[in-house]
Amino acid sequence: MGLSASDIAEKLSGYLGQISGGPVEVSSVVRLSGGAIQENWALDVIVDQGDWAGTHQLVMRCDAKSGVSTSHSRAQEFALLRAARAAAVAVPEVCLKCDDASVLGRNFFLMHRVGGVAAGHKLVRQTNMPELAIELGQNLARIHRLKPPCEELAFLGPPPDHPARAAIETYRGYLDALDDAHPAIEWGLRWLDLHAPSPSGVTLCHRDYRTGNYMVNDGKLVAVLDWEFAGWSDPLEDIAWLCAKCWRFGVDGLEAGGIGSREDFYKGYETAANHVIDRAAVYYWEVMAHVRWAVIACQQAARHVSGEERSLELALTAHVVPELELQILRMTEPKHA
Amino acid sequence: MREKPSGADLLDIARDVLRNDLLPALPEENRYQALMIANAMAIVMRQLAAGEAGETNEQTKLETSLGIKGSLEQLNSTLANRIRSGDADGPEIWQALHDVATAKVAESNPKYC
Repeated sequence: MGLSASDIAEKLSGYLGQISGGPVEVSSVVRLSGGAIQENWALDVIVDQGDWAGTHQLVMRCDAKSGVSTSHSRAQEFALLRAARAAAVAVPEVCLKCDDASVLGRNFFLMHRVGGVAAGHKLVRQTNMPELAIELGQNLARIHRLKPPCEELAFLGPPPDHPARAAIETYRGYLDALDDAHPAIEWGLRWLDLHAPSPSGVTLCHRDYRTGNYMVNDGKLVAVLDWEFAGWSDPLEDIAWLCAKCWRFGVDGLEAGGIGSREDFYKGYETAANHVIDRAAVYYWEVMAHVRWAVIACQQAARHVSGEERSLELALTAHVVPELELQILRMTEPKHA
Repeated sequence: MREKPSGADLLDIARDVLRNDLLPALPEENRYQALMIANAMAIVMRQLAAGEAGETNEQTKLETSLGIKGSLEQLNSTLANRIRSGDADGPEIWQALHDVATAKVAESNPKYC
């Protein structure tokens, strides 16, 4: 069953009223765009008394009705956001989570709303933004300061010994589950297998750190969003994901996510991380980025084709695969003897 | 005999109406959907114009590279298996894959460079 705005207002005002010990008015409820797996709702909440007395602009994040996915639960995302904030990463400040499905019929959490633009095609219209590229580098380095073991992130499981090899194995498994074979992606995976660098260490990785998944206000980075794929991995995976050609929204000349130069992004990262990025290894992980996105795109297409979830967006994602394949092949051309 | 205009021409004029007349009148939150529809129609138009040539070429190339005959599904599956097991690492395989991908991009996103 879908949630309606009036349902949310009624149920949440009751629930928050109980917690705060006084009247709570949910004065505005607006569904925000984006998120096939999760729903985001903008809420204005007026709390009468208690520690939270005052007016709050919040976002409620909950599972969409088809809650089957490999991504993290809302409770886990809540823990990730809290850990990231403690590490001085720009993220929305979380308020409370609710694991009691009797309240809304699904789990949810509340966080403070941040203003700004996230949509990739809007951000990349605005020419070179060196300050933003530097900030993105600095923030990523702060995420990568979180290292295993970490008790509050225990749900992420044990860190992989060799993140690249673990990724190759995972993506081959995903391809095996699909009906059609994808030789160009297999070519990429074979190249990745043959060229795997020795691991450079394992840290917390966002694993979807790209333009479209962070919020910008007045040219400044205000929040990194969409933590549902975070996990232990090689930090170069995140660096390469942001720079990969497939996430520049058509602005190829600005290699850091279509918004800035690669060197500015690296500069921000290297200053905050206090070590130099291995350029050659980033190339490897950019091949991995295209392979990963191609595999995910094939999975999304299959959801439409199988009838599991008919969707124009998923259907069109299938037609992104050829350009990803072409880019994989360009990056892995055999050297002529 | 079918009436003229052809299906391809119908799509073409329908897409013009969508982009030129409907899109400017749509509220901001529906613009992205309209652009997706226009993109889907453009892919169909390019597939119609290309006909079966792309898949026929793919079949020929894969049969030559692999030295076997079969359906496109079988050929792609065999090639994928050989690549994974390390039996198809050569430049001629790369060239065949590159040619096929280039032809597919010409239909899916010809502006890609």
